[in-house]
Amino acid sequence: MPLRPRLLPQRGEPMTMTSFFRKKRLHLTLLISLLLAAYAAAALILNFNSLSFLYLHLGIDWLAVNFIPNSQSLQYWGNILEALVRTLLVAVASTSVAGVFALGLALLGAQPTGPNAALRWLIRGFASVLRNIPIVGWALLLLFSFKQNDFTGFLALFFLSLGFLTRAFMETIEAIDVEKIQALQVTGANYWQVVAQAVLPEILTPVLSWLLYMIENNIRDATLVGLLTGTGIGFVFDLYYKSLRYGPAGLVVLAIIMLVIAVETVSSLIERRIGMIAD
Amino acid sequence: MLQVRHLSKIYTGKQPSLDDVSFTAQPGAVTAIIGPSGAGKTTLLRSLNQLITDDAGEILLENIDLRQLKRRDLMKQRTKIGMIFQNYNLIEPLTALENVLHGSLARKSTLAGVLSLYSRQEKGEAMALLADVGLQEFAYHYAGDLSGGQKQRVGIARALMQHPTMMLCDEPIASLDPRSTVIVMDILRRLADAQDMTILINLHQVDIAKDYADHIIGLNSGRVVFDGPVAEATAAAMAAIYAAPAQAAAAAG
Repeated sequence: MPLRPRLLPQRGEPMTMTSFFRKKRLHLTLLISLLLAAYAAAALILNFNSLSFLYLHLGIDWLAVNFIPNSQSLQYWGNILEALVRTLLVAVASTSVAGVFALGLALLGAQPTGPNAALRWLIRGFASVLRNIPIVGWALLLLFSFKQNDFTGFLALFFLSLGFLTRAFMETIEAIDVEKIQALQVTGANYWQVVAQAVLPEILTPVLSWLLYMIENNIRDATLVGLLTGTGIGFVFDLYYKSLRYGPAGLVVLAIIMLVIAVETVSSLIERRIGMIAD
Repeated sequence: MLQVRHLSKIYTGKQPSLDDVSFTAQPGAVTAIIGPSGAGKTTLLRSLNQLITDDAGEILLENIDLRQLKRRDLMKQRTKIGMIFQNYNLIEPLTALENVLHGSLARKSTLAGVLSLYSRQEKGEAMALLADVGLQEFAYHYAGDLSGGQKQRVGIARALMQHPTMMLCDEPIASLDPRSTVIVMDILRRLADAQDMTILINLHQVDIAKDYADHIIGLNSGRVVFDGPVAEATAAAMAAIYAAPAQAAAAAG
């Protein structure tokens, strides 16, 4: 029997060049029609007029006129800066505390360093649950017990970060070549020595990258959490906005953007520095 | 001296089997284990320090059966066995010096090992070992920055830091260029001659085995099909070692 390459599973009549491309076109047409139908249905239910797109510029004009901070807005700068610093601190604190706990959990849960498979699945599941509850869900949930203060925001960010970092660290540990770990085990080194001398140095660079990423992410989230918990920069924005002080509210947005850019710049500087050491 | 008697391992799907393997490796001699891919060379070497557990037999290192030891005692015996690998398995974000010092971890307390609290004497010894393998000026280089041959020499220094009586070398030159191959093999030869160590090397280059080994063990399909001094390793013997499994089984009788 002659060998024929089978590119696609063949059913019924054999595939020809014409039928192959006809089938692909059909699939693509179906997919696009489906998306358009979904959009039309959603617009109908929400009473959303597709022509609104034509008036988008009116909204932007309004933003430009009202939200541009003026010299009067600057008198709020002190308040804004204080709230910004609080938000930054909450983000950094929640990430660092979560990082310490996540490293412990990841060592217990990762395949090369953990004691058994049962614990591995338990930790994996626990981390997934923490991670899959969105930040707004955490904040609302914690508001019941901890009321409106910085600690509620800290906890919300902590739980989400713990889930995220535990999974990330576990995967990082599991990516180490097992032979490197074995190479130290066969020298007669014990568990803790192998963890400290092989596992930790191997994961240091990715762990630091994950922590920096998490801090950046938590600063963004902290703004949103602040709206709900009545703290930090989110609260300040809410206050100015609802009291129609649009100029200062615009200044808050500007301050947040500046902070995010600053943190990103710093963390990419740090990462480059680590990268130079690692390579 | 290493005596292996009737060592067997049943095929598990990952590692090739070992079928009633017996041989003796003498101190001061280089013993090369050769054979086709999948013959069980790596399985055998890793069984010798119980990195892979086997199913039956005896592994006597200075008359202690490693297979009968409890975990703690095995860890103590393992310090006498240095091991080097085809992929070096260094901790690449650490320096050459730190990697060599890892060889002394077993002698240290857990805490001192965890915190890298090495004594002045240990650091001096590690530096001297790096000098022995010609890498003194690379002591503070990250292991990841070194060439393959340099990494393997750091691997040897790390193993020597354990004060071993035996070295297990799993395809140590398979990833190296010819020049580095000579450097690494010269070092291993010197360890047998000058320090009376038992050297076991998995090789797939027959010519290197003939140049450097005193004794050759031919493995095929998990069975010892040749066991003799290098002088007896004739072309016919080599052909038998590398024969198709069925022929080899017939030759081994």
